[in-house]
Amino acid sequence: MPSDYAIETEGLTKIFRNFWSGAEFVAVDGISLRVRRGTTFGLLGPNGAGKTTFVKMLLSAAHATKGRALIFGQDGRDPSARQPIGYLPENHRFPTYLTGAGMLDFYGALSGLDGAARKRRIPELLALTGLEKWGDVRLGKYSKGMLQRVGLAQALMHEPALLILDEPSDGVDPIGRRQIRDMLHALEERGVTVFLNSHLLAEVEAFCRDVAIIHRGKLAVQGEVRDLTAGSGYRVKAEHVPERLAAELTATGAALFAGAGAQNGFREFQFGTREAANRSVDLLRSESCEIESVIRTASTLEEVFMRTVDGK
Amino acid sequence: MASNIALTTALVRDTFREAMARKIIWGFVGCSSALILFFLFIMKIDVVEGAFATMSIFGRDARTMDLTRLVREVHGGIAAFLYTAGLFLSVFASAGLIPTIFEPGRIELLLSKPVARHHILLGRYVGNVLVIASNMFYLVFAVWIIFGVKTGVWTHQFLYSTAITVFVFAILLALVLLVAVLSESAVVATMVTFGVMLVSPILAQRHLIERLLSSEWSRDTVRYFYFALPKVFDIGRICREIVLGHTVTDWMPVWSSALFGLVMLLAGLYSFSRRNY
Repeated sequence: MPSDYAIETEGLTKIFRNFWSGAEFVAVDGISLRVRRGTTFGLLGPNGAGKTTFVKMLLSAAHATKGRALIFGQDGRDPSARQPIGYLPENHRFPTYLTGAGMLDFYGALSGLDGAARKRRIPELLALTGLEKWGDVRLGKYSKGMLQRVGLAQALMHEPALLILDEPSDGVDPIGRRQIRDMLHALEERGVTVFLNSHLLAEVEAFCRDVAIIHRGKLAVQGEVRDLTAGSGYRVKAEHVPERLAAELTATGAALFAGAGAQNGFREFQFGTREAANRSVDLLRSESCEIESVIRTASTLEEVFMRTVDGK
Repeated sequence: MASNIALTTALVRDTFREAMARKIIWGFVGCSSALILFFLFIMKIDVVEGAFATMSIFGRDARTMDLTRLVREVHGGIAAFLYTAGLFLSVFASAGLIPTIFEPGRIELLLSKPVARHHILLGRYVGNVLVIASNMFYLVFAVWIIFGVKTGVWTHQFLYSTAITVFVFAILLALVLLVAVLSESAVVATMVTFGVMLVSPILAQRHLIERLLSSEWSRDTVRYFYFALPKVFDIGRICREIVLGHTVTDWMPVWSSALFGLVMLLAGLYSFSRRNY
């Protein structure tokens, strides 16, 4: 029976052991994650959180110490489970002796495409990524952005059902980023599952429907971007706020968070409801604080990320 | 999944492309062509022409016999030279073709494809062997043609030297493969393989060494290393015997070296299947 999930992991764990000292380092700690078929999924986390190791375990480039990963219901360790995957690694090193077309031909063959299909797909993808005039040029002559685009073309060669992209807009100019995003949207509309590993929060927020945050090897948050950023509120900026009152507003729970210290004499407070914001404005005014601004805000993925990672 | 043949073809073709880009193939073709031109040249000089003419004044049977022996001797000398120099050059030039696929950013992409790990490595291994085999065949076949046309003697045994040299190269490349998987370094892999090649002529004198050693355990150690390691030197001697048309009585160096190569290859494939990238 076909699985509802493009990716399913159960307690996926990776422990690296130092051969000489025997010291252990837990890179990924029991992550159970489900990525729905046809969704756009963003994996977030600070540097060293275990994102890349997690992705490598999905692809069986790294072996899990415990747990397992399923790709469309099939054990990821089975080479045939990787048939529906298109992958663009971070810091890729494509063979520079190949031309753009040659590289697509090689990886297309490894992805199981026959000669006729490769012949058809190569010009299509070079045109799609804006590299139609560069097909016969060696990759050594490509710019970083062009390598990223030809890398994306490589991932799309065999029309994969699951696209795993590690920092896809790395080194790409804003126009190129826009093109990549449009390309990914078109794939999403065709039902392709897109798994994005990126540190660009705005990119993930703009593109992904679902998101997960990994922190210190563990799954910290998972959900729909819409739900996670649903916490709208009010931001109040005031002058001459005594430390005592700032601490009181935060401690009583009226303010979801207060900006760290006064900046140019101003402090900012975030309130979850209009009532809380109004009460606090009254309180601030009663203590002769000057109100600079009251703004209605929507919670951003960045705030969710910072709260998860830094506890702010 | 794609057929195994299609995948292997893609991997072999990629190895050839890399060998071309690194100028390994051109280097070999250049050296081989220079040697071929050299043989063409010496076959035209007066001394050699004169030597062949002298032989032709003898009776028909005697001339054929002497000429055949002369050609076999020359073939034997060339085969021995190609075997020794060819092996060193081949290992030195092409040992890097296997470790390059372990480069970060390249190996992850290869492993993400629906291809078994052992297939990726075997494809590279076969490609590397074929790069060397094609060059060896080009050189040996051209030299054979030159001598054949000039003398009318066509001894097929000389052509076997290609197969023997490539066979020993394949054994040494299996060692390169294992060390490269473990160390991910072309330099270490080349050094270890050269070490094994250099120790081979020493171990080939094991009977003499054993007489010089006083303790039994040290004699056992020499024996162990002799039987465990590939017998590059001994097979070189066998190669010459075959080219000269002599009968080979002891095939032990060949099958024990093949066993070594097989063990190295399997160990390399196993290590590769267990590694994290």
